[in-house]
Amino acid sequence: MADPPPLIAAYMRKRGDLLRFFTMRTGSAATAEDIVQDLFVKISEMETPADLRSAEAFLYRMGSNLMLDRAKAQRRQAARDHAWSQTTAGGGPEPVAAEPAQDEALASRQRLERLLAAIDKLPPQVAAAFRLQKFDGLTHAEIAQRLGVSRSSVEKYIMTALRTLVSEIEP
Amino acid sequence: MTTSPNTSPTLEAARERAVFWHVRLASDAASESDWLAFEAWLAEDPAHQKAYEAVEQVWAELDSAPPSARSNLAALQPRPNRRTVLAGAVAASIAAAAVGAGLWSLQPRTMVFETPVGERRLVTLADGTRITMNGGSHLTATLGRRERRVAMADAEAVFDVAKDPHRPFLIEAGDREIRVVGTEFNVLHHGGRVAVAVRRGVVEVRPKGATGGPAAARLTKGQMLVHRRGEPDDQVAAVDPDAALAWTTGRLVFKNERLVDVAAAIDRYGSRPIVVSPEARDLKVTAVLEIGSEEAMLGSLAQFMPVQVEQRPDRIRLSLRR
Repeated sequence: MADPPPLIAAYMRKRGDLLRFFTMRTGSAATAEDIVQDLFVKISEMETPADLRSAEAFLYRMGSNLMLDRAKAQRRQAARDHAWSQTTAGGGPEPVAAEPAQDEALASRQRLERLLAAIDKLPPQVAAAFRLQKFDGLTHAEIAQRLGVSRSSVEKYIMTALRTLVSEIEP
Repeated sequence: MTTSPNTSPTLEAARERAVFWHVRLASDAASESDWLAFEAWLAEDPAHQKAYEAVEQVWAELDSAPPSARSNLAALQPRPNRRTVLAGAVAASIAAAAVGAGLWSLQPRTMVFETPVGERRLVTLADGTRITMNGGSHLTATLGRRERRVAMADAEAVFDVAKDPHRPFLIEAGDREIRVVGTEFNVLHHGGRVAVAVRRGVVEVRPKGATGGPAAARLTKGQMLVHRRGEPDDQVAAVDPDAALAWTTGRLVFKNERLVDVAAAIDRYGSRPIVVSPEARDLKVTAVLEIGSEEAMLGSLAQFMPVQVEQRPDRIRLSLRR
């Protein structure tokens, strides 16, 4: 029998580790099980990436992306349920929470504006490295090449940017 | 370094380390031992997990940044974002054909959506409504100014409907019309049978053409309505909504259901009709089947049920195994 592709082989070896990791990250063994299951479906449908360095690290990273996508989908769902609850609960004297939803949307827009303004105020190289990764999806190596600096400088730039942005939102 | 006076040194250190990990793990040079070390750090202190989530939150919030936030440097040489490519491969988009309605007509366009047998598709309508279509489904959608309307031919789909108080969302399935008052539910229309199962929110079902009249039924979470074409009545029963919607993740889930109903559900996945011999119709089935060909699904059923599968050129016959 042919050897399984490297990602599948790594998954078989590391399934337990991945489950433990995502149980800690999500606080739920059931959610972790779902994430790891989704991960398996994804890797069994894809070709092995040409630039794969570590199959294990790839699994952790892809699983983390799936976890964040789930969280995002849940927020979207909650927002939609909330919107509907305003119709179904209508007619009664109770104030149906229309204001908080708008407040929330406004607050998150304002937070985004603050973050974008904070990026504008960063030193030019720092801002460029951050934007190239976050908004253009370049890898650290590609950014290093683009900016003509070392890879570790790129990492330091992005750390500086993130530190500033986190303090901006949560002083 | 931006240290505000009211930030404690521990919090500051946790935040510093969280930023380090976020950048390290985003690098394609990260190794398995990096991830294990990260896990150990998270486990050390709940404050570490909190600090890391704050970094992730900032990162995620920037996803809604406008395209103008991009660096001008990268515009020289655009390259596909890895995650987008990955997502694109999974959620294949659907080809939508516009029928009727000339380009300048004020009539709303009707879109036609079809899926081949065995292929699930996610369709997003212009109003943000998401429809997950099961294989072998055919439906049309018309987003008008006063109402939004979907007509289901032979089809099964899960609807996640965007709210628009000025435009009700109506679904026609056979001689039933479903009015959406809530958010996520499954509609199956096959062989003269309409089944509506609700996972979130509320939907109303009434005879077609009776818009505005009293609803035949108002379904909430965990309820399922079944109607057969031509019959005046609808049956409402409790349903496990996750089981009813399991096909969206490639499985069929049956809990203590009659073999004849299970056969009807599997029947949608093949071209030959499945017939069940009278003495086997009421056999109770509890099973989780991976969605595949009709033959494969019946084959796995026969492995743990006293059922015999007879393949004939024009149909498949199920009977009790002796």
